[in-house]
Amino acid sequence: MKPSTLVRLGLAGTRTDRLRTVLTAFSAALAAVALLSAATVAAIEGGAWVTQPDGAAVLSPGAEHYTNAMLAEAGLRPGVVTALVLLALPVLALAGQCIRLGAPARDRRLAAIRLAGATPRQAVLIAGAETAVASALGSLAGFVAYLGLREVLHRPTPDGRLPLPTDLLPAAPVIVLALLLVPVLAGAIGVLLLRRVIISPIGVVRPVRDRKPWPWPGVLIAAGLIVFAVPAQMVDTLSRRVTNLCLGVGVVLCMIGVVLGSAWISYAVGRMLLRFGRRPAMLLAARRLIADPWNGSRTQAALLTAVIAGAIAISFRQYMITEFESYDRINALAPDPEGGGISAAEPPSFYLGGIRLVLVAVVIGMVVAACGVLVALAESIVARRRAYAALTAVGVPRRTLSESVAWHTLAPLMPALAVALVVGTGITRLMGTEVRQVDGDSVCPVAQAQCEANPALFDFVVRHEVVLPVPIAWAGLLLLGGVALAAMVVAVLAGLVVLRSSTDLEEMRVG
Amino acid sequence: MSTPHVLLGLLAAGPRHGYDIKRAYDERLPRAKPLAYGQVYATLGRLERDGLIAPTAQDQDGGPERTWYALTDAGRARLDDWLGAVEPPAPYVTSTLFSKVVVSLLTADEDRARDYLTAQRAAHLQRMRELTVVKTRAGAAVDDVVAADYAIAHLDADLRWLQTTLLRVADLHREVHS
Amino acid sequence: MTTLLRGTAIIRSYGPTPALRGVDIEIGEGEIVAVTGPSGCGKSTLLHCLAGILPVDSGQVFYRDQELGQWSEAARSKLRRTRFGVLFQFGQLVSELTAAENVALPLLLAGSGRREARRTALYWLERFGAGELGDKRPGQMSGGQQQRCAVARAMATEPDVLFADEPTGALDQLTGEQVLAEILQEARGQHMAVLLVTHEPRIAAYADREVVLRDGVVDPSGLGIGLRS
Repeated sequence: MKPSTLVRLGLAGTRTDRLRTVLTAFSAALAAVALLSAATVAAIEGGAWVTQPDGAAVLSPGAEHYTNAMLAEAGLRPGVVTALVLLALPVLALAGQCIRLGAPARDRRLAAIRLAGATPRQAVLIAGAETAVASALGSLAGFVAYLGLREVLHRPTPDGRLPLPTDLLPAAPVIVLALLLVPVLAGAIGVLLLRRVIISPIGVVRPVRDRKPWPWPGVLIAAGLIVFAVPAQMVDTLSRRVTNLCLGVGVVLCMIGVVLGSAWISYAVGRMLLRFGRRPAMLLAARRLIADPWNGSRTQAALLTAVIAGAIAISFRQYMITEFESYDRINALAPDPEGGGISAAEPPSFYLGGIRLVLVAVVIGMVVAACGVLVALAESIVARRRAYAALTAVGVPRRTLSESVAWHTLAPLMPALAVALVVGTGITRLMGTEVRQVDGDSVCPVAQAQCEANPALFDFVVRHEVVLPVPIAWAGLLLLGGVALAAMVVAVLAGLVVLRSSTDLEEMRVG
Repeated sequence: MSTPHVLLGLLAAGPRHGYDIKRAYDERLPRAKPLAYGQVYATLGRLERDGLIAPTAQDQDGGPERTWYALTDAGRARLDDWLGAVEPPAPYVTSTLFSKVVVSLLTADEDRARDYLTAQRAAHLQRMRELTVVKTRAGAAVDDVVAADYAIAHLDADLRWLQTTLLRVADLHREVHS
Repeated sequence: MTTLLRGTAIIRSYGPTPALRGVDIEIGEGEIVAVTGPSGCGKSTLLHCLAGILPVDSGQVFYRDQELGQWSEAARSKLRRTRFGVLFQFGQLVSELTAAENVALPLLLAGSGRREARRTALYWLERFGAGELGDKRPGQMSGGQQQRCAVARAMATEPDVLFADEPTGALDQLTGEQVLAEILQEARGQHMAVLLVTHEPRIAAYADREVVLRDGVVDPSGLGIGLRS
């Protein structure tokens, strides 16, 4: 099959297909902007601490004209780059979810293509090509947007310094790589989502998994927590790299565990609704949850990931605030004669500002995730149009159908949100539930000469001690959970509008 | 098969001679049992004896002697009666039904044809209703049900054919009146 | 015989395409009426309009002398699940619910308790020969069994009127006629009116009388098509 044929077949379609293409392109554009920004930050040179011959440490040249320390210092830049790349992840997830929009019509088209003689592999490639082409267009649009943003955000301060790296372009190969990565990843996600699907000439069959989910993701969560806790226990014996690796892997394992575990949560919630629910809407929702609990985990994945990240950030902020307070207290108890005292490398506002940025990214991620939920909800409502129409015809009121959609989407979300918040907080508390600062002198129990020869003989006598427990950041966590819930509620309400027009019997012939 | 009535119908458009009548019969009712010449002349003889057709004087220039026949008033009346009468719905009347439908489309004007077809369909459906009642009556014996099914199936086939024929009527009309 | 359902001068279009162009029809209590005609003649649309599923563009539909056009969607929905029974060719059961839950759904919506609704549901399933299918899901049943469950659901509320749109269409001849015979036996027993839409004369023969549609109007000749096309 020629590539041009592939592209032509990939671009065929109806109004829903065009909507899907537009959404996919939009998400791809966002992801491209995020990746290009990451590449730009990574391209900044200089700002590393260099020890000069006279013993003083200075920053290497190249980055001092940036006002933001996170851009100027080489040690902080990797964090920014990582954060930007991570921000691209939920957007790519949204692009992946867009692939499922309009599935029935596209399935029919694929079946027809098979009927015309394509092999199954060619049919899957066509589906992947659709997504890849749309993403490629989006990628290019993202590139244009990136260039535009560079112009718009290029605002030097009066002394010639820049808030953002708008004077830099990443190397050309890097740009090309970033722009290519988006469609490749999107196409790969598309093909991956079709791996269980059998495309035959008479139709597309998605085999329904009939197994009950059982809580082995709990094992993943436990493993993640353990891995995360390792560096805390072996604080001095591990290198910085291994520590970071353990922390990162621990967090990722926990996230995956929570996401996979939401299927079990959906199933359990379904069983509870079935047993205790009184209203017919709950019965309908319960049966749907039990029949396909994995549906929820697909749509909630991005949201739960964002919530975990947010919970970690909020709990970490609480830890840092406690630490800053402990510094203040110990400095008050035992003031430094030289006027310095214990403090962090930067003023607290720097760190808190960083957390604030992370939280902004988390909120953006949650909004993107809610859009993904809306897309999936709209698609499932449209796919079940006939069933809803038949139900309306035999007299099930629209209100009941709307209620059942709301229960089906929101009921499993509440426990899943709670679990995500607990896991996120729990992970951070593994780093320590209290902060301890001490002030004292080193005293030599034996002869002074022996101590000077062997510094390990010095005893440390504590004069002042400050121990502060790190409280659980209830207010912040509840706010985070509330925002997540609100985002989902808005998505569900928008989905109900789609339901309303779907059950409009004038639109289609019933029966 | 009601051959006499069919021959009357073939004469409704105008006088014909025996050979022409046989040819028209084979043409209009191709799937029916083919009619032998002898049978044609024998039937024509009977019809003439009953006063339903009469020979007309025709010029016989340059050809073998042929007797041309035409419908008498009595013959026309008999044809109208036949076309107006509904065939009793039963499995064995299919061939008569067929010939009557063809002849009525052939000869009658559209309103008369529609009247006949309406009445025939209604009769068929009414019979099917009666048979259905027999079939679904509590305590109906198996042979009754089986016999009713047989009759219903054939009546159903007649009705479907009627429906389909009407759909093809435009072509038929054009062809018949060409 | 009192008139239960009456439609006068019903006109209904789908966008620019007219489906019904002025239909008058009356159904009395306990009457079984077949609506027939070639495909595209509007018989399904007529059923939907008379059952209050679709509003009419012009004309009136009366149920017990109350005009349905004045009613809200919620009120018509309630009418459909309490006083009407609706039966389609296929695809009317919720695939995630069990048969008993499907049948119990209108009862639950009407306010029955769960246990009572289940009992009634099992009774009606038994009545239509689907007794042992109560806890099975539609995906685990044959077409005939699914249709029996759908019939049980339509009958469970003991409606005044049963609207059946090609109920035997997806079934083989024998199963279809068996199910139809059972439906009509129950209907006659309950003095229930039935509006049966079909394109098969064999099925129409089960009704007391027939209304033939052609191109959106009633065709008194019953031929369903004009002689001159």
